[in-house]
Formats: sequence, structure tokens, C-alpha cells
Amino acid sequence: MNIYTYIMRRLLYVIPVLLGVCAIVFVLFNLVSPDPTLIMLGKHASVKQMAELRAELGLDRPMLEQYFDIVKSAFTFDFGRSWTTKQEISEMIKAGAIPSLTVTLPAFVFSTILSIAISLLVAFYRGKAIDKVVVFACVALMSISSLAYILFGQYVFAFKLGLFEISGYDAGFPYFIPYVLLPILIIVIISVGPDVRFYRTVVLDEVYQDYVRTARAKGLGEKKILFKHVLKNALIPIITFVVIRIPFLILGALLIESFFSIPGLGGITLNAINSSDFPVIRAMTVLSAVAYIIFTVITDVLYTLVDPRVRLS
Amino acid sequence: MAEKILDVKDLVVEFNTDRGGVTAVNGVNLEVFKGKTLGLVGESGSGKSVTALSIMRLIPTPPGNIAAGEIRFRDKNLLDIPLDNMRSIRGNKIAMIFQEPMTSLNPVFTVGNQIEEVLELHQKELSNAQRKEKAIEMLRLVGIPSPEQRIEEYPHQLSGGMRQRVMIAMSLACEPDLLIADEPTTALDVTIQAQILELMKKLQDELGMGILLITHDLGVVAETCDDVAVMYCGQIVETADVKTLFAHPQHPYTKGLIESIPSFDSTSGKVKDRLPTIEGMVPSLFNLPEGCNFQGRCQNVSEKCRGSAGEPKLETIATEHQVRCFHPLS
Repeated sequence: MNIYTYIMRRLLYVIPVLLGVCAIVFVLFNLVSPDPTLIMLGKHASVKQMAELRAELGLDRPMLEQYFDIVKSAFTFDFGRSWTTKQEISEMIKAGAIPSLTVTLPAFVFSTILSIAISLLVAFYRGKAIDKVVVFACVALMSISSLAYILFGQYVFAFKLGLFEISGYDAGFPYFIPYVLLPILIIVIISVGPDVRFYRTVVLDEVYQDYVRTARAKGLGEKKILFKHVLKNALIPIITFVVIRIPFLILGALLIESFFSIPGLGGITLNAINSSDFPVIRAMTVLSAVAYIIFTVITDVLYTLVDPRVRLS
Repeated sequence: MAEKILDVKDLVVEFNTDRGGVTAVNGVNLEVFKGKTLGLVGESGSGKSVTALSIMRLIPTPPGNIAAGEIRFRDKNLLDIPLDNMRSIRGNKIAMIFQEPMTSLNPVFTVGNQIEEVLELHQKELSNAQRKEKAIEMLRLVGIPSPEQRIEEYPHQLSGGMRQRVMIAMSLACEPDLLIADEPTTALDVTIQAQILELMKKLQDELGMGILLITHDLGVVAETCDDVAVMYCGQIVETADVKTLFAHPQHPYTKGLIESIPSFDSTSGKVKDRLPTIEGMVPSLFNLPEGCNFQGRCQNVSEKCRGSAGEPKLETIATEHQVRCFHPLS
């Protein structure tokens, strides 16, 4: 079996998973959650008003039809219109994805590279003072609430020192850059602690393997052993950890976006939740599920490239 | 007399652990000659592997450290040379194979790649094509069928015996003067064991290297070694050439080890009723007794062994036959 048939087969497996996800979404929104018309019209609404609104929103249609709407949206990305803004949801997502990505993507790339570099460094000096200092710093960084970083950054770096914009956003390159610098810095600081700890554990797991001793017995230097032998083995768990986070980048950073007034998907989701805008929440749920499934497939395919033990059959 | 390639003198290796310091190797002397095999025998924890790793300077430091002694390889003391020079000796002049063929190869590189890596390191004058050719040649030398295809395979595609052959091919690629084999056949089944030992013997005849063979299996020693050193609690308790050792063991521990080899009675063809064992346990290195370390398991134990005369010394009782015992057997 070659890699293309493998990918095709993995994609076919996606279909039942998606149907299941859509079923869960359907149950959550149509059966478990309270009647949206009640929330929208308030508690003094008449039965007639509610029925009219139900018809207008299409909630009176057969259950199965509504379920297949969700399934269809998972493939076409046509999620209908928002109840509150009446905009096309797919347009809202398109508009929100870019501001989100301008923050989350660079933050993700920087924090990943930085964390892997630091973890290789401390693995090289394992047990020495620098290793202990870094591990301590990671725990210290992790122990502080992300709100503290945001407020401190906005107050000290942006307001007092004037190094960054306090909040806001300007669409288009390169106008957005001044607005995203501080959010990126904060995300990097928040992620670097747990990431370094994870990568360090992964690398140290490999450092004590027998093949490392063999490499030393061959006469290889420690740097070559670390960057060639250890890193390639460590990549297997690292790939899972990294790739599976990518879909969440598109969805934006809820807290950061709302504090920095960045008009990204995180903010859209937050507004939709506050105003019970069911189609938007549902769209974000379906979108994240689809993205997650797709990136799981990508992880599996990458495995076959990195780890020769993973057979294609 | 063959040329002496390795001379270990009074080697002491200590480990710092949470429970305090231990001396894993305590004053070991070994000599390996060109084209000859020295067997280093002993139970688990007797310090065999630590001795071997010390020669390669692969003792993890900390917690381990080579506290005293000399490791003379040809005319150099390996403990005095800088680490960079040591690296150019490892895999090149002194090679090592390990007990765990299943995990000793890197799972994500092809076996060809791993053999070529040694050549790339120590024989820089070779071109890529020459390296590949040499790797194929080495695989053929260790008896791997269709080496041209095998070279592209990953370790998981090979059996344990095949992997150990790859390890041997890798270790011999630079034609080392000394091969340290740390229990190379322990993890393999018996028929494969015999093949691997035969292969090592054959390659020794062809390449003329000295072998330090570490094993707990005296059967293996009898088949492959020229000289034997028996280790107990970090010390050598008896050393002799293989025939003398098996015919006239002087230390009760050596005798016990020889008697506990399963064997047939060659005249009647019957298996001996009961396999003799050495009673008792190896004492903890944290809590070694005064006097002789073997006193707790020895049948000939006397007051002298219990510490009144200090530790027994390694005494020469015949040419090339030394024993560390107050009451040698004959």
C-alpha cells in the first residue's frame, strides 16, 4: 500500500467520525439546550410569537432535516446566517480568521521553536545548574495566571513604557503588526513553561535509550547524538503535540482577543455565546471538530514519514 | 607471546547513589592480547559491565566515576587523553557490542545508514559510494543474506540475531584492535548464540583483533575464550588460561560456577540428577563483609576468611594462574 491509498483510506474513516460529531452537536443544540426562542423573546413572549420565530429560524422543520443541515455544513462550510447580526456565518469566519491567525500563528511558531530549542539545551546539560534553573523558571512561569501577564503587559509595557499598543486592531499588512506584538509575546510566555517541560521530558526519555549508548560507543559527539539520533526519535511524540494544536490557532485565543480588542474568531465566539447566537456557536463547534479530525489525519500521515515502524497497512 | 593491546591496572570505579557511595569495580587488572579472547565472567552486579564501559569511558558521570587505575591501550593511558581523542578511538580502535540487540540500534535509521555513520566518522577519506559498498561488504562478512537489500531496512525488520550481526558489522567496520562484547549472546536463543559466537571467532581469525568477552555463561567461555578472569563483588577472584581454569579451578566460587553448568554424563548419556548451585546470595555492595567477600557462600570458610587476616590478595599460584583465596582448592 502506498502513501496515497493510505491517505485516502484515512480520509474515508473521517466520514463516520464526522457523522457522529454532527449527531452530538445536533443533540446538544436541539434537544439539550433550552428553547432559543424563549431566550430571544424573553419570558413574556406569547406562544404565537414563539411559533412565528421558530418558523422563521427553521426550527419547526423535521429533526432529520435539521440534522442533515449540520452534516452538510461540515462539508460545505455553509453555516447559514447569524441570528443576531444576520450576516453569512461563513463570511464572518473568513473575516475573523485572519486577525486571529496574525496573533496565534506567529505566537505558535515562535513558542514551539523556542521551547524545542530550550529543551534540547537543557537535555544536553541535564542535571547541571542550567537545567535546574530552566525547570524552576518553567514552573514559575506556569504558576502565574495568564490574566496577570495580560494586565501586567498592558499596564507596564504598553501604558507606562509605551512599547506596544494597549489594544485595538488595524486590518491589512503591515498595519496590524504594532497591535499583535504584545499579544504574541504574552502567548509565547504563557506557552513556553508547559511546552519546555513537555519537550524536555520527551527528549530525556530518548537520551537514556540503548541506541544513544551505541552512538557514543561509535565515537559520535554529544551534539551529533542529540541533534541526529535523539531528535529524530523525539520528533514522534513532538509531532502529535504540535500538529494537533494547529486547528486551535484558527479558532483564536478567546481571552487574548477580548482583552486586546482583536476582531478574531475568539471574539466572535465569545459574542455569540453571550447573545445565544446558536448558529454561530454551532458553526464554531462543527468547524473545530472538522479541523481537529483533519489534523489528526495529518498527524497519522506524518508518523509514517518519521517513524519507519509505523506500517501503512 | 602475542602483543598486549589492553592492560587495565588497578581500576577502581565508584558510584554515588542516594544510599551512599559504592565501589563497583575494586582494583581490577586485565590484559587482552592481539588475536586472543579474554573472558570476563561473573554474576549480575559483579562489575563486569562497569569494567567494560570504563574502558570505553562510557560510565555515566555523575553518578559514576573512575577513581583510580590505568587503562593502557597500546601505549596510551585512555584515562589521561582528552575526550575528543577518546571519541576518535571509540568505534575505530576499540569497538563495543551490547547485550540488547533489540534496542541497541536506532529504530529510525536504516541499518546501512548506521554502519555508514561509523565509517563517516573514522574513515573520512571514503566517498559516499565507497562507504555504502563497505557497509554492504560488512553485512556480507557477518553472514547476512542479500546485504544489498538489507542495507535499506530498518532494525525492526530484522530478527534479534540479525540485529546482533548488524551490531557486529558496525563495530568491526573500522577493523578495531579491540572488541568489547558485553554479553553479546545473552538475549538470543541458543542456536543463534552458537552462530554469533562462531562468527566472532571467525572474524577474530580474519581481522586479528583482541576480544574482551563479558558473559555469565561459562559454557560460552569454554567455547570461545583463551583466558578467563572471574569477577566477584567488583574484584577479580581468579584468572587463568581457559584449560587450567576448567581443569583446576582454585577458587571455590569458580568451582561452584563450573559445577553449575548443566551437562550430560557422557558415558551413560543421562542428565545429572540435580544441578548443583552456589548457596546464598551475592552480598550487597553497600554492605560487604570484613575479609573475604565470598565467605558467606563458601564451604571452606575459616576464621581467617572472616577478617582476622584482612582481605585476601590475588596471589600467583602457578604461571599465569592467580587466585584470591586463603584456602585455594589444590
